[in-house]
Amino acid sequence: MAQEFHLKLITQRAAGGDPIIRERHLPGPELTIGRATDSDILLTDLSIDLHHAKVRFAGPGRVTLESISGVPFELNGRSTQRVDFNVTGDNVAAFGDYRLAFSPGEDGGAVIVVTREEHEHHPSPSIFSLKAKVLGRRNMAWVLGIGIFLTCLLVPLLGSVWLSHVQIHPDQQWSSGPLSKSHAFLENDCKSCHTNAFVAVRDEACLSCHKAGADPAADAKVLARSKDGGSPFEPRLVADHAPHADLSRATPLPDGLAPKIGTLVQRAFNHPTDRCASCHLEHTKPGKAAPAVDADPKAPLADKPTLVVVQDCESCHSKLKSRLTKTQLIDTPDWGRHPAFRPLIMTSAGGPKPTFQRLELKGAPQERNGLIFPHKMHLDPMGGVARQAIGLGKANGYGAALECASCHRRDAAGAGFKPIEMERDCAACHSLAFTRDAAGQLRNLPHGELQKVVDTLAGRSLDGAGGSDRARPGMIRPTAFAATGASAYRATFSKGGACFDCHSITWAGDTVQMAPVKLTQRYMPRGAFDHGVPEHGGPGQAKDGGYKCADCHKAETSERTTDVLIPDLAKCANCHGKTEAQTKAADDADCTTCHSFHAPGKATPPAGHPPLETLRWSQAVARKGAGD
Amino acid sequence: MTHAGGHTERVRQRTHEGFLRHKGFRWAQIASGLCVVAVGVYFVTAAQLREPPSGGSWLGYLLGTASAGLIVWLACLGIRKRAVSDGHYSLKAWVSAHVYLGLSLIVLATLHTGFQFGWNVHTLAYTLMMLVIASGGFGIWAYSVLPHRLSANRGEVTRKQMLETIASLDAQLQEAAQPLDRSGAAIIRHSIEDTEIGGGFWQRLTGAYDNCANRQAMIRARALPRPKTERDVEALAKVEGLMQQKADALALARRQMRITALLEAWLFVHIPATFALLAALIAHIVSVFAYW
Repeated sequence: MAQEFHLKLITQRAAGGDPIIRERHLPGPELTIGRATDSDILLTDLSIDLHHAKVRFAGPGRVTLESISGVPFELNGRSTQRVDFNVTGDNVAAFGDYRLAFSPGEDGGAVIVVTREEHEHHPSPSIFSLKAKVLGRRNMAWVLGIGIFLTCLLVPLLGSVWLSHVQIHPDQQWSSGPLSKSHAFLENDCKSCHTNAFVAVRDEACLSCHKAGADPAADAKVLARSKDGGSPFEPRLVADHAPHADLSRATPLPDGLAPKIGTLVQRAFNHPTDRCASCHLEHTKPGKAAPAVDADPKAPLADKPTLVVVQDCESCHSKLKSRLTKTQLIDTPDWGRHPAFRPLIMTSAGGPKPTFQRLELKGAPQERNGLIFPHKMHLDPMGGVARQAIGLGKANGYGAALECASCHRRDAAGAGFKPIEMERDCAACHSLAFTRDAAGQLRNLPHGELQKVVDTLAGRSLDGAGGSDRARPGMIRPTAFAATGASAYRATFSKGGACFDCHSITWAGDTVQMAPVKLTQRYMPRGAFDHGVPEHGGPGQAKDGGYKCADCHKAETSERTTDVLIPDLAKCANCHGKTEAQTKAADDADCTTCHSFHAPGKATPPAGHPPLETLRWSQAVARKGAGD
Repeated sequence: MTHAGGHTERVRQRTHEGFLRHKGFRWAQIASGLCVVAVGVYFVTAAQLREPPSGGSWLGYLLGTASAGLIVWLACLGIRKRAVSDGHYSLKAWVSAHVYLGLSLIVLATLHTGFQFGWNVHTLAYTLMMLVIASGGFGIWAYSVLPHRLSANRGEVTRKQMLETIASLDAQLQEAAQPLDRSGAAIIRHSIEDTEIGGGFWQRLTGAYDNCANRQAMIRARALPRPKTERDVEALAKVEGLMQQKADALALARRQMRITALLEAWLFVHIPATFALLAALIAHIVSVFAYW
């Protein structure tokens, strides 16, 4: 019997179950394999050619499989065009999806089992839904979430601890806004102010650069620290308005329910509202606290931290005693109820230090400054003083009856007056000359220290002749020689002597004693009064004609040195707090006109002042050089 | 197809109340009320605030706390929708509240910023929040418009049927292509084996299927030389006809996919942006208090 092929076609049912098996015997020696319907082995896979391959016997139990289309096939996984093999082995040829497994048949024939691999996949309706492999919703969600958590929270948090020394500042991204120009140098150094995490910026951080010390040495230390810290500007040194504990106790809750609750909540959360940073805000845009119209273009508000008024003056200075029982301060709930002035009156010029007391003007307080100086006598236009002043002539700065400015000279700023100096302001008439030297030059007594006068006059006897008791410059006072033959020392300190007119002198045997003299420079150190304002008598055009000195100071009628010549509050109220309908010189009655928070004795500077640029170290040095 | 769908829609609109109209716009009213109150309080209070308006004022803290609470609650929809429950707080009510309270955040959180923005983690959180809201807004549009389109597109055909049609056409192609020679068979194989019904994310959204295997196969089939035998000419004509039918079936399925993609795409922004927002929100809150 000739060799023949036994063909077994196994078809899997699509719905499962037993496969369909069809068997055929095909006589050798050769079979065609292909998609064409006349093929002996019909394989309907479209990847197979119509006439793809042939298989024929090549001996007993041995076949040759050969491509006739030029398209290779696989035998046991290896691609080939032609192959001889024994059908005794488990040889499997692959054509497209079809597997042809060869095994030995009867009489040296071959059994070929043809199976088709079903790898069709039927997509499920879920393919209608949107899916992304890499950028799936969950993947993206976790990557973004964790990424931001690390980048924006964990890295800055740890970086602020470990990276600050390498000049990397991942915590920069936490800054809610830029710092003002004055603090811009701290922009990268969050911890310079935010010293402790989760603790609101404390005053100590601010005061490390801004604390006004008890003495210039302490101030210099603070300034040096700021400069070393990289500040391009000289920080303003400030003192607190009052001891901080007192301030805290004296400050009431703000008006309005919401601000009250807000304040209480902030206090409860360790974010008190009486810190430096409560009023001086950083990382925020300039507020409306100082309206732009008030801003000086030369002193931009953005240069400094934004100032907000958390408490106004009136709210604390009302019913103050109820919160701060020990206080001596009188309430000032508004301008209309501003207490009468209580100037600081010198009760004694002597002792180790002069002593002062705040006294109301209505009690006609008496000042004890140690000097004998009747204003009336000096200002009387018909008196002897006037005559002498006329006699001194214009060339010497006089030439007319004395006026206030003859002795009281404005200071450089123009807001006040220079302290009275005997040699400059009195000696034109009250000569200190006591003798002529060998060259004929006048010699003056030293003024200011009694012992020096005594030393100068020691052992000297009187000479010269009598004359007018008022001496012109360059003349020796006649009374100095009144008691001819007596000692110059005794005569100088006795009636008619150079010192006797103005100083209270007593004798203890032969030792002269003189009451100490101290002139008050500021009667009201807790308030600012600017003599330079035109309405106050300063230079310039006043709104309604400026005040003259005499309008406020009753010097022309003051016969006693002890008279206190400053006016009371009512004088201020002539203009301040008035409407323009009431007076052309009407002006505001704002607390800040005369007081400020950090320096109650000074007016509050205009918003933005002093201009930041004037605080540059180079400018500051120049300013100090100019004696400012 | 469309007229049948239209009829169905009319019936549905009478009986169905969507999440937007839930309980006569109850949550829309609540959210609007919230916004009106917030705006009112802001403009009355901000004028009286001593400091420039910011998240650090008492009003800022109030708005910020409310906004942060809302964000966390809104994010919880992802948990809530997975929990099956019934009763008063239905998922529809929850979604309705989610939509309207989410929109109200535009007002609340913007007021919380005090209109101060910068290149920082705080503005990052705000931007992410606006991104989440914007994508959610797109979702509202999608859910209100696209289901009608989906329904109109598919007519009476289910998605399963669409796929079965394509599979059946593939089987017919396989059958009809048997007489074709190697080059013809290769073209049909390309259509059967390489045609991707959906495609990637952007392909679905844009509907750009120029390189679709079936389409390419059709072009190549048309370019084939005329077969020699009449039988083969018939076979070629048949497969071309089948491929055209397949192209129509694919177009229908792909339109369905495109609309479905539009319906779902916003979630690919909404969900990841929500996670990013939650992280940025934590960073915002912690950093504010770390450097108080």
